[in-house]
Amino acid sequence: MLALAGVSLDVSEGEIVGLVGRNGAGKTTTMRCVMGIVRPDQGTVSWLGHPVGQADRRRFGYMPEERGLYPQMRILDQVSYFAQLHGLEVDAANASASAWLERLGLKARAEERLVALSHGNQQRVQLAVALVHDPSLLVLDEPFAGLDPEAVDSLSQVLSDQAEQGTAILFSSHQLELVERVCQRVVILDDGRVLAAGTLTELRRRFPAELRVKVDAPPEWAKALADTRILRADQEGVLLIVEPGVDPQTILRAAERAGKVEHFGFESGGLIDLYRQVVSR
Amino acid sequence: MTRLVARREITERVQGRLLRVMTALTAALVVAGIVIPSLVRGPSRPTTIGLVGRSAEALAPALQRSAAAAHVRVKLHSIATDALARSEVRSGTLDLALSAGPTGVQAEVKQSLSAADRSLLQATLDEAHLVQTLARAGVPAVTIASALTPVPMTTRALEPSSPDRQARAIAALAASLLMYLSLSLYGAAVANGVAQEKTSRTAEVLLAAVRPEQLLGGKVTGIGLTGLGQLAIAAAAGLIANAFVHSATIPGSVWVLLPSFLVYFLLGFALYAFAFAAAGAIVARQEEVQFVTLPLGMILLGGYLLVYAAIASPNAAWLRVISFLPPLTASLMPARIALGHVAAWEIPVDVLIMILSIYATARLAARIYTAALVRGGARISWRDAVQLRAR
Repeated sequence: MLALAGVSLDVSEGEIVGLVGRNGAGKTTTMRCVMGIVRPDQGTVSWLGHPVGQADRRRFGYMPEERGLYPQMRILDQVSYFAQLHGLEVDAANASASAWLERLGLKARAEERLVALSHGNQQRVQLAVALVHDPSLLVLDEPFAGLDPEAVDSLSQVLSDQAEQGTAILFSSHQLELVERVCQRVVILDDGRVLAAGTLTELRRRFPAELRVKVDAPPEWAKALADTRILRADQEGVLLIVEPGVDPQTILRAAERAGKVEHFGFESGGLIDLYRQVVSR
Repeated sequence: MTRLVARREITERVQGRLLRVMTALTAALVVAGIVIPSLVRGPSRPTTIGLVGRSAEALAPALQRSAAAAHVRVKLHSIATDALARSEVRSGTLDLALSAGPTGVQAEVKQSLSAADRSLLQATLDEAHLVQTLARAGVPAVTIASALTPVPMTTRALEPSSPDRQARAIAALAASLLMYLSLSLYGAAVANGVAQEKTSRTAEVLLAAVRPEQLLGGKVTGIGLTGLGQLAIAAAAGLIANAFVHSATIPGSVWVLLPSFLVYFLLGFALYAFAFAAAGAIVARQEEVQFVTLPLGMILLGGYLLVYAAIASPNAAWLRVISFLPPLTASLMPARIALGHVAAWEIPVDVLIMILSIYATARLAARIYTAALVRGGARISWRDAVQLRAR
């Protein structure tokens, strides 16, 4: 069974990269390769120009998709324990654990066992474990899964703050609107292959866009446009599929020649639309 | 890192209520095993016999002679009436009451006449009848007395048992049972801990910071030290109890048995813990742990059951041979030490074999553990597990 086939991606310091794809696309396997949990048959994982070793990975923070912590362990002790495993001394580990629990709104529950917390709060503890040792790279597998909107906003802010401090962040999610909001770059996986990678702007330029034009004239004016086709025509005008490279001004001039232009604007270009176009090819 | 992992294992268990309850229970059982027998078994006392009436009193000399010949202690009392005798038998003052009438001799007891007492009384009556018959036949009293003198008999034991054989057997069984329960309990703790870390993906977070060998070594060390501490507390409680009651069930070799038990527990635990850890790593769900560890549990049970054979034949050659088999050493050696049939050279040879076996088992288990711990999918069979390589 082939899990990954030639996946290559990079994450820079201070950058948030979103890894998206359907179930079974290879997102988790990719992350597990980065963390050394599985070893690829071919290829390398490099950090700062050299192959990743155990010492490098101790500087990484990881949050697996299945929340993995000790259910009967008190959360402050647990976060401190993982900090010590990552090389912090006891006092520094305790201090960092306390600080992160406070920042994530769990200070009052520091002495409670993990099992006593709600799903969302357990996820916060998991995030604290990933962040407590001030990692250089954060690898988060579905960190927003199951969170309420407030928790999503809170976590998004944490990730943004960490990126501003120079942490490289790679996370996967099925919530494309969230990825679009938080990430600078996106990597789209399917069947173990990278289908597309880049910023949203770069991706938009590579794929057709939807342009709605409302002219007080029949839609035939649009049929003669090159590298453009009519998706549908209704009382709101015509919805055009515009291939990459087409100058919108050309379409605008054609519409003005046909009649009075009441509306001219791109309707798509969001990550959801881009994702659908990418995977459908 | 190994020390950190071990400390976490110890802390989690010490903070948990279960360990404290189990430690208290184990200590209580050990103390009870020492105190109760000393309360139940008092010093042996003579059989008290009430003789009702002159005819019964005439049996007194014969009773004393028969008791002396059988090495039994009796205490004879003259009782005035049958009613008084029955009252004293019911109250326990007398063990039995003898009365003689025209139909013969009657022995009255509270519930039943023991076989030893019956033999004693029958021998007495037979002698009395013989004396009477010989006297009626005109045999001189001197001749009768000479004929009744017991024939001297000496005994020679071909395989003499030690004076505290029963106590040693009890100690052997107790040591073996405690070893079986401890290895099973703590072995299962290792397997369940590993399975929990695997199925909850905690292992993946851990492996980002520590190597699999460090994780495995820390877990085995932490749980092993916890078990050792629990057993040491139970042993200390037993020694304190023994100091108070001086129970005869504890043989004088207790100062050899206890430290050797703890040493063999450590060796046995180390051997089995690595195997239990590998078992925990090959499951896909926590519920599969019991099934996967069943073969290990069966071997432990087999070791415990073999102790019964060891008690029956402590010098058997086959027993000495199988005691060197590493999976059975921890079960059999403490029991054999308690029985007092271990040659001095056996222990260092045993320990050496165990250390080598632990090393080999640890290496194999570490390979399985490393490869299986983060491997998804269905449960891995033992055969496939042995062939695994880390990915």
